[in-house]
Amino acid sequence: MKCNDRVFGLLMLVLAVAYGWGATQFPEPFGGGEAIGPETFPLLLAVVLALSSLYLIVKPDPGSKWPPMRTGLELLIAVVVLIAYVLLLQPLGFIITTTLAVGTLCWRMGAAPIRAYVTGLIAGIVVYFLFTIGLDLSLPLGVLSVLEGS
Amino acid sequence: METLGYLIDGFGVALAPHNLMFALIGAFLGTLIGALPGLGPANGVAILIPLAFTLGLPPETALIMLTSVYAGAMYGGRISSILLNIPGDEPAMMTCLDGYPMAQKGKAAEALAISAIASFMGSLIATIGLILLAPLLAKFALTFGPAEYFALFVLAFATLGGITGKNPVKTILAAAIGLMIATVGIDSTGTQRYTFGVLELYEGVDFIIAIVGLFAISELLFFIESRAGGGKGPMKVNKLSLSWKEIGSIFPTTLRGGVLGFISGVLPGAGASLGSFISYTLEKKILGSKGRFGEGDPRGVAAPEAGNNGASSGALVPMLTLGVPGSGTTAVLLALLISMNITPGPMMFTQNADIVWGVIAALLVGNFLLLLLNIPLVGIFVKLLSVPPKYLLPIVTMVAFVGIYSISNSAFDLYFMVAFGVAGYILRKLEIPLVPIILGLLLGPEMEKNLGHALTLSNGDWSVLWSSGLSITLWALAIIGLVLPVVVGPILRRRMRAAQDNVE
Repeated sequence: MKCNDRVFGLLMLVLAVAYGWGATQFPEPFGGGEAIGPETFPLLLAVVLALSSLYLIVKPDPGSKWPPMRTGLELLIAVVVLIAYVLLLQPLGFIITTTLAVGTLCWRMGAAPIRAYVTGLIAGIVVYFLFTIGLDLSLPLGVLSVLEGS
Repeated sequence: METLGYLIDGFGVALAPHNLMFALIGAFLGTLIGALPGLGPANGVAILIPLAFTLGLPPETALIMLTSVYAGAMYGGRISSILLNIPGDEPAMMTCLDGYPMAQKGKAAEALAISAIASFMGSLIATIGLILLAPLLAKFALTFGPAEYFALFVLAFATLGGITGKNPVKTILAAAIGLMIATVGIDSTGTQRYTFGVLELYEGVDFIIAIVGLFAISELLFFIESRAGGGKGPMKVNKLSLSWKEIGSIFPTTLRGGVLGFISGVLPGAGASLGSFISYTLEKKILGSKGRFGEGDPRGVAAPEAGNNGASSGALVPMLTLGVPGSGTTAVLLALLISMNITPGPMMFTQNADIVWGVIAALLVGNFLLLLLNIPLVGIFVKLLSVPPKYLLPIVTMVAFVGIYSISNSAFDLYFMVAFGVAGYILRKLEIPLVPIILGLLLGPEMEKNLGHALTLSNGDWSVLWSSGLSITLWALAIIGLVLPVVVGPILRRRMRAAQDNVE
C-alpha cells in the first residue's frame, strides 16, 4: 500500500508547479519592482512543496487501507447529506432541514430510524430557540414561517 | 514587582462577575468536551469560537471563556483513560497505566479525584511559571527583527510534529499547504492572488471555517468509517473515600510532575506527550521499589496528570509571548486572538496588557473552579461518557454548521467547510498532520510580511535571513527539531508502547 503516498505526492507536485506558475503570472504591482513582490513568497512555497512531494514519491510510507466499498458509500452519503443540508437550509427552514440531516446521519451511524429522526427534531427545535431567543440570531424558518403569522 | 501589579489588574478583569460566569461556563463545557467521546480539545475549542462571536463577547471575555474550555478539556480527557483504558489523546496514554488498574480494583472514584488534584497542581505550578517567565520572554522577543521572526516561524513549523512525530517531510508538506491557502486573496500590494475571480475568495480563506471543517467534519467521517457509533455501556463509579493522608502522599509527585510538564510545554516541540511521559518515568525511577507502578499506584496517576496539565499551561508561554503556538489547541486559541484583531506576540504584553493578564489570572481562577467542579460533579461527566457517538456527532456537526452560518450567513462558507472536512479526512488517511496546515493558515500573512521587511531592508539579499547570531540559533534549532524526531522518535514511541503493553 505504498501507492497512497506516491499518488498524493504526484498530485501535490502538480499543485506545486501550477501554483508556482500562477505566481509568475501576477501583474507587477503599482510602483514597480521592489526587492520582494507578491510572487516571492508563493514561489518559495512552491519550491518547498515540490521538494517535499518529490521526497514522498521517492520514499513513501506504508499507507493505511482505504475503506471498503460499502463504508465508502456511507461516507459519500454523509457528505451528500451535509451538502443537501446547506442547499435546503434557506428554502425549507432550519428546523425541518436539521431534522432531516441530523436524523439521516444518526440513522446511518446505526441508530434506529424513528429514534434518529426524533433526535434530529428535538435537536433542531432546541437549537432554533436557543439561537433565536437566547442569542438573538435569525435562523431561516423556511416553510414553517406560515405558522409565525398566526 | 511590575508583574505583581499587572497580575492584580488581571484578577480585577478575571473576577469581574460576567467574566467569572463565562469562565465557569467555559470550564464546564471544556470538561464536557474532554469527557465526550470523539471530541478532542482542539476540535471543541474550534466549534466554540463561532459561538463566542455570535454572543458578541468582548475579546477578554471570549479569551477567558475559551482558555477555561482549554483547561477543562484537559481535565475531562482523563476520565476515559481511567475508566475505559482509552486515552483521549496521546498525552493521556500514560494516565491509563495506573488509572485503569485502579478503576478495576474498584477505586475509580479515588483515581478520578487524584487525577483532578494532580491536574490542578500541575496547572497551578505551570501558571506560576508562566507568570514568571512570560514577561521576560516577551521583553527578550522585542529585540527580534523581521529576519529573526521569519526564522522563529520556521522553527515553529519544524518542531510542530513534536518529538514523537513520525515523518517530518509530511509536516513540511502540510505546512506548505497551509501557507499556500493563506496566500489566497488580495495581498498587501493590492494584487489578487489565486482568487480565480471568485468574489468570496477576495478576502482570503477564513481560518475558522478551515479549522472547523478540518477537525469537526473529518471527525464525523472517521466515526462513520470506524462504525464506532454504538458507544459504551453505562458506567458506575464507587463512592469516594480519600483521606488527607493519601492526598498528602501524592503531593511531592505532583510538584515534580508539574515542573517537568511546564518545562516540556514551553520548549518547542516537546509538548504534553513528553511532559506526561517524563513525569511518569522519573517518578517510577525515584520511588523505585517503594511504588507499585503499573498495578494501580495513585502516584502513577498523579505524575502523568500533573505533567500533562503543566505542559498544556506551559504551551501558552510561546503562544502568548511570541505568537507561535506549539500545539493544535493553542493554535486554535491563536486563531481566536487573530480574529479578534489582537496581534499576538511581545507587543501584546504592552498594548493589550489587560487582556493578557486577565487571561493569565483567569487560568488560575479557572483551575480552582475546575477543581471545585470536578470532584463533586464527576458522576455527571462519567454519565456523559456513555452518550453514544451516533447521536452526539451529528448534533455536534449541526452546531458547527449553525455557528459558521451565524457569523457569515453565507452558504458558500458552509460548502467550503464541507470541502475542508473531506480534505481533512483524506489527509488524515494519508497521515498528513492537520495542525501544521492550520498553523500555516494562521501564520502565513505574518510570515510573508516579515520576509518582505527583512528582504526590503537588505535590498533583496536573502542571506539577511541568517546573518545574526540569534537567527542562526533559531535555524539550527529548527533543523534539530526536524532531525531529532527521526532519530529519537521511534525509541520514545516504542518505550511508551512497551509501558502500555506491560499493563495489559
